[in-house]
Amino acid sequence: MTNAILQRIANGDKNAVEDCLNKYGGLVWSIARKMLRNSDDAEDAVQEIFVDIWKNAARFDESKASETTFIAMIARRRLIDKIRRSGRRISADSLDDVLLEPFTRSDKDMQTGLEAEQAAEAMRNLRPEQQQVLKLSIVQGMSHQEISDATGMPLGTVKTHARRGILQVREYLGLDGTQLSQEVRA
Amino acid sequence: MSEDKREKLLDLLLKKAVHGLDEAEQREFDALDPDTASAEIHSLELTAAAINIADASIDEPLPAHLYSKILADAGQYLGAAETETASPWPTVKPNSYKAETERSGQSWFGWLGWAAAAAACIALALNIWITRTPENNQAIIKPTPEIPKVLTPAEKRDEMMRSTAEMVKANWTSGNVKEMKIEGDVVWSDEKQIGYMRLRGLPMNDKTKETYQLWIFDKTQDAKTPIDGGTFDVNSAGEVVIPINAKLKADDPAMFAITMEKAGGVVVSDRKKIAALAKVENQTS
Repeated sequence: MTNAILQRIANGDKNAVEDCLNKYGGLVWSIARKMLRNSDDAEDAVQEIFVDIWKNAARFDESKASETTFIAMIARRRLIDKIRRSGRRISADSLDDVLLEPFTRSDKDMQTGLEAEQAAEAMRNLRPEQQQVLKLSIVQGMSHQEISDATGMPLGTVKTHARRGILQVREYLGLDGTQLSQEVRA
Repeated sequence: MSEDKREKLLDLLLKKAVHGLDEAEQREFDALDPDTASAEIHSLELTAAAINIADASIDEPLPAHLYSKILADAGQYLGAAETETASPWPTVKPNSYKAETERSGQSWFGWLGWAAAAAACIALALNIWITRTPENNQAIIKPTPEIPKVLTPAEKRDEMMRSTAEMVKANWTSGNVKEMKIEGDVVWSDEKQIGYMRLRGLPMNDKTKETYQLWIFDKTQDAKTPIDGGTFDVNSAGEVVIPINAKLKADDPAMFAITMEKAGGVVVSDRKKIAALAKVENQTS
């Protein structure tokens, strides 16, 4: 069962904590390092993320998302909060490395579940500029203004790519929004 | 709702899901129809999380000291589920981790702490008094709670060596970086898909600039596209033991190579800086 670990944690099973760290520790560490770009900050953040995971384990609902995606969502919330509080700005000289990497490596599907696989597929179907903007904003945690400064794209264009891109990926994943985004997208 | 208003609303929701909101924006968000806001924000956050996972290269495990700390601290949070909101979705409070410890001295729970400490002092005094009488010892000894032991990579390697019947083993030799004199070995189990590198002479690297990356040349793979065995950093002199983190199933490796790459690793190595090579001579039992 994919949800066994969080359910066990919610039930107070201490052994499940170790299972959770073994299964998701690398993922959370990887996401934190990419978004914060500083190992010391990432260490603090990862501790806080796992506290959030222990506290929120009972809220996991496998009908809404996989355990992996749920944990990544908790991690992202904490990291977004960290980035906002730090007022961090990314250095433009590190941008080339980010942009030169392909969106995914071929090994991802083995480790990250169906939603991530579908998200990678959806990303590959986006226009290159949309891929670039989503990668910089979601994976690297850059603001739209930072992306505009770094890439030379007008701010409005960055926003448009970000919006269209994420809505397309959401649609591909079959995650329902409401009438609101369907009307805007149309 | 007007088109302008819908556009603005969607911008707000997207910003919350991807970048977070400032206080004024959060107030704006809080004033939205809860059902609409909730459905939209959850689906957008899940989408962003899925994109994040799709890109995450899990090429480095959680550092051992961090793993141990999180594990040691976890007990106090188990069963402490958030209950103050009816939302089925996780809540993240700003800096809650630090706030938990800072807050404890300010509430009446802090007084409970002092009371507990006083009780502990009394218990200790009683304990010393009682234990002066040898015949009472048996009655008061309580088992020490077991703390799960976190094995180091070296211990995990030893465990693998003890418990694995068949594995491949190879000795490291220096690559094309002349100043490096590398020694050690690598062991790999096809059956368990785990392995460890033991290395001596690999210099510490500046992890902000470069990293070491392992490549596994499997007999079933084209030599041009070896399996990524994960990136790692060397933080200390002397012997280091590094777990192998193969990104694809490796069956019957013929050679292992460690290259030096830019921070974060690469998908395809230009093989300009090969730190070490290990050719498999035969399978050991």
